[in-house]
Amino acid sequence: MKSVWVFYQKEMLELLRSYKLLWIPVVFIILGIMQPLTTYYMPEILKASGNVPPGLLEGYVIPGAATVMAQALGQYGSMGMLVLALATMNSLSGERYSGTVEMVLVRPLTPATLVIAKWAALLTLLMIALGLGAIAAGYYIEQLIGSLSWSTVLAAASIYGLWLLCAVSMTLLFSAFLRAPVAAFLGLLLTAGLALAHSLLPSWLDWTPAALPDLSAQVLLQAGSVSLVGPCLSAGILILICMGGASLLIRRNILPN
Amino acid sequence: MDSVNWGLIMPLLILQALLAIIGLISLAKVEHTRGPKWLWLIILIFGNLLGSIVYFTVGRKDI
Amino acid sequence: MPLLQVTNLRKSYGKHTSVDGISFEIEQGRCVALLGPNGAGKTTTLRMLAGLLQPTSGAISFDGSHPGMDYRRALGYLPQAPAFYGWMSGMEYVTFAAKLSGSGSKEAASMAATAIERVGLTQDARRRIGGYSGGMKQRLGLAQALVHRPRLLLLDEPVSALDPLGRREVMELLRDIREETTVLFSTHVLHDAEEICDDIILMNRGLIAEQGALSQLRSKYSLPVIRMRTEKNDGALKWLETLASKPFIVEARLSGDGAVFNVSDVEVARRSILQEAASLDIPLLQFEAGSSTLEDLFMKVVGA
Repeated sequence: MKSVWVFYQKEMLELLRSYKLLWIPVVFIILGIMQPLTTYYMPEILKASGNVPPGLLEGYVIPGAATVMAQALGQYGSMGMLVLALATMNSLSGERYSGTVEMVLVRPLTPATLVIAKWAALLTLLMIALGLGAIAAGYYIEQLIGSLSWSTVLAAASIYGLWLLCAVSMTLLFSAFLRAPVAAFLGLLLTAGLALAHSLLPSWLDWTPAALPDLSAQVLLQAGSVSLVGPCLSAGILILICMGGASLLIRRNILPN
Repeated sequence: MDSVNWGLIMPLLILQALLAIIGLISLAKVEHTRGPKWLWLIILIFGNLLGSIVYFTVGRKDI
Repeated sequence: MPLLQVTNLRKSYGKHTSVDGISFEIEQGRCVALLGPNGAGKTTTLRMLAGLLQPTSGAISFDGSHPGMDYRRALGYLPQAPAFYGWMSGMEYVTFAAKLSGSGSKEAASMAATAIERVGLTQDARRRIGGYSGGMKQRLGLAQALVHRPRLLLLDEPVSALDPLGRREVMELLRDIREETTVLFSTHVLHDAEEICDDIILMNRGLIAEQGALSQLRSKYSLPVIRMRTEKNDGALKWLETLASKPFIVEARLSGDGAVFNVSDVEVARRSILQEAASLDIPLLQFEAGSSTLEDLFMKVVGA
């Protein structure tokens, strides 16, 4: 346990020195702010771009606060996820290809220690980025559109965060035995595949982690009762499988050839 | 919706500038970039949000 | 009781066997060189001892413990090409290494300072490792291997990648370090082994060709020998070949215009070879009577 903490501290220092702990939260805040701003100022933006068909603007109604918040969180599913996958891809593969992992694993710690510490650091980064992003989005929505229930925002952001964490965990798994760009590509591909499968067969796959983004929106819109058990449980199992797999695979891929 | 509330738009511009500045600081410190440094300098200054993200994700060779 | 006892250690990758059943012991406090040409299986052996590779078969027992017990806490290891986090400072890395080996924060910091000073990096301890030279990285590698005061130090080719100056520095450090702890280091240079070691394990093609205390091996292989070289003409070279069948010659190795003969009696051999050379008018260039060295043994093992 102590070595997990030691390694976690090293990971956090690395995130800071590589500026990831700065730029990723800033990007998340910008994304969070942009959604309410563009929604609110849509007529001005359209006017400024010229040749708007007359009558279009009269029909424009600003969506409700909860809807805009759901849209803001939805932003993180594309751009945010891409950024997180790119930040994760080097995590294990960088240590393998440079050879630093060999120097670490001769010390009394297991590959699982390494994987848990790295995962925990990425979770910290995700929570900071998503947390600040959601707060910024919420603040703008309250200023421009209407009031929000902050406990609902917290719940919705957590559910969305779990989905992002699944993508990060899968990228981490691939990073244990593939080169960084391949790991990011496969992690994103698998996540997109899951999301696509869920959108095609929602009733069949509503127990998978891919249902989490929809559930997050439903929580915000308070659209009836939401059953979270299946998706959360399956997300937890997916994450555990990714971490277990990464621990096993890194053991086989310690040594540079 | 008559007048644009610049008090709310300013933070967005400041954050984008902040991102570019973090990028410029890192560019000044980093020894190796993928591709020439001057190109990243231009991308950071004129590339807005996307330019900064591209720089941080693929521009830096060693961290 | 030996500190490290290795029995019948094997490692094979599919059909290729890298280490083919080696056994040896290392006594506490000794400095042992694992000597052999490239591809002899030295690195594979060290990696198995460090717990980085699972042996195909065989047993490793540390300090009399049951084979398979985790002894990594008592181990210091320096790979052939040590890799560090370029964004850390030297001091940060060594402190990190000490903490990973189980030291508390304060203890780790003071141990790291000691180790850094030990390898002469105090001046550069706060600089980023990314800016270190090859020699500095090797010394930092020694510092991280030493920092937790291991009982056994495993070093893989610690000097082979260095320029003569860096090599000198690291050898001086090793001479110091071996006073405090047990050291096993691999090298393909006999001279490095002779310079600081007590014992030698000579490996070739996955097998131990010879092992023992350096002094013992020296006397064992100090056989009477005659080395000679002639001008390159057919008569002379034929004559060298005929010499090989003389009764006083135990073993002959001919190479181009020269020959090395292991002889039973150096007096008899010298007299009769020189007389024959004079009577046949052989154009001798060089004639030397002496005793064989470990270099000869090394060349024999490697060349075989």
